[in-house]
Amino acid sequence: MIKLSPRLSQKISYLLLFLATVLAIVPGLLIISIIIAKGKDVFFAWDFLTLMPINGMLDGGIFPAIIGTLLLIIITIFLSLPIGIGAAIYLNEYAKDNLLTRMIKLSIVNLAGVPSIVYGLFGLGIFVMYLKLGVSIIAGVLTLSVMELPVIITTSRSALKSVPYLFREASLSLGVSRWDTIKYIVLPNAIPGILTGVILSIARIAGETAPLLFTAVAFYTPYLPHSIYDQVMILPYHLYITATQIPNIGKDRIFATAFMLLMIVLTMNFIAIIIRIYFRKNRKW
Amino acid sequence: MVNKIKVKNLSCYYNKQCVLNSLNINILQHEILSIIGPANSGKTTFLRTLNRMNDLNVNYSRKGEIYLDNNNIFFMNMESLRKRIGMLFEMPIPLPMSIYDNIVYAPKLLNIVSNKSDQDAMVEKVLKNVSLWNEVKDRLNSSAMKISGGQQQRLCIARILAINPEVILFDEPCSGLDPISTAKVEESMIRLKQKYTIVLVTNNVKQASRVSDKTAFFLMGKLIEINETGKLFISPQKKQTGDYITGRFG
Ligand SMILES: Nc1ncnc2c1ncn2[C@@H]1O[C@H](COP(=O)(O)OP(=O)(O)O)[C@@H](O)[C@H]1O
Ligand SMILES: [Mg+2]
Repeated sequence: MIKLSPRLSQKISYLLLFLATVLAIVPGLLIISIIIAKGKDVFFAWDFLTLMPINGMLDGGIFPAIIGTLLLIIITIFLSLPIGIGAAIYLNEYAKDNLLTRMIKLSIVNLAGVPSIVYGLFGLGIFVMYLKLGVSIIAGVLTLSVMELPVIITTSRSALKSVPYLFREASLSLGVSRWDTIKYIVLPNAIPGILTGVILSIARIAGETAPLLFTAVAFYTPYLPHSIYDQVMILPYHLYITATQIPNIGKDRIFATAFMLLMIVLTMNFIAIIIRIYFRKNRKW
Repeated sequence: MVNKIKVKNLSCYYNKQCVLNSLNINILQHEILSIIGPANSGKTTFLRTLNRMNDLNVNYSRKGEIYLDNNNIFFMNMESLRKRIGMLFEMPIPLPMSIYDNIVYAPKLLNIVSNKSDQDAMVEKVLKNVSLWNEVKDRLNSSAMKISGGQQQRLCIARILAINPEVILFDEPCSGLDPISTAKVEESMIRLKQKYTIVLVTNNVKQASRVSDKTAFFLMGKLIEINETGKLFISPQKKQTGDYITGRFG
């Protein structure tokens, strides 16, 4: 066997690791730059973002799809965040460590790994058909929430766990109640972690089609939703149908739609990063 | 002298394993009781039983009774018990907030103080009580995590004084401190004796002889001997006690 000098083998391994990093990053950067390059003209004409689609979606804009996606994201956050954080607090701070609790924790971890199409079918069965909500924003939001809850609970629990147990003891030993300890010591120190995790996971669902396909999505609506019982257009699905179902559509329109979806996801990731930096700076331990 | 705390036949277990065996101790009001003994003899467990910190531990169980002013503490509300029996841990644990907030945190929640001027007065008073005021008065609003270990430990004492307890438990409060910080903490303890009943667990036999009125010797979950500090150190009744204080084992 050839024996390499330590200097040389150090150099080679450095090079290999660097190559691996490049390989991991390049495809992502390529996708983003191609989308921007091909979509920017239509995107920055703004009309595309603010108009309703017309002429069988060959003309006009994607306004209702943007609104639909944002609506679903926002309502889902408001619905699932309090429930998820509440469940995480219960499981982490109050629940006795018995068989039942362990089974609940295990199933939450497993639920987070269920494919999203399964949630879509679940939503169709329960919310759309059984509860007769129809294909609607509310059915979509409920489905997304059910899908997001395990993720939110898991991230929130790990954020709660990262607050040192000693802080809880110090507070309790001063005669402060458990709930006040959670409210004033645990939560303030866990919130940044919770928010970051939750925003990142919601950013992921912004691009989901499967759970919404049967529960909320319209192929095409000529108007904006009037209530939560209306169907909506959403960006990822709109992207899919324009790219596959409508011949003769300008490729730049498709890329501009992808650009918009990308912007929403990137903005949310950016917010998560800002929150994290802000709280890091103010953290006292 | 009045009995402040009476411990009757207390036995404690982790996972059904006995770590404190039928303990009987009376603690007088305004005395400092030292507890000495080698590691793992159950000293911390005893303190954490006194203010029921261990009740949160699912592996822990106990038998027997403890009375505070003739009331069984196991029937008392935990929050009000802990307000009456403060505890200082082995490591200083400042809360992740400013020096000022560390002190007013609990009193605010327990409605001991309300307006700002009362709070200011309280902060100054308790910090002076632990001789920390001069060292930190210019940076009350900076993080309590940034002061030295000795200062943190005295801040933690001040924090306990702010809730005005009747009994204070110290669990090896100087084990991580240098001699000068230790002297300052001991000084505060002796001053506190006039108002509070103190139980001091210490791994430092000399510290016990310096500050306490009475000393108890624990060994492997049993109370071997308890006596006035002077007597225990000069003429211990049990051989194990003598061996321990002269440093022959443990
Ligand atoms: N949380 C715990 N769970 C299980 N066993 C424990 C726990 N805390 C202490 N013990 C055990 O109980 C015994 C007494 O411990 P402790 O009260 O901490 O003694 P000391 O403070 O005198 O060193 C030791 O054997 C220790 O291993
Ligand atoms: Mg100990």
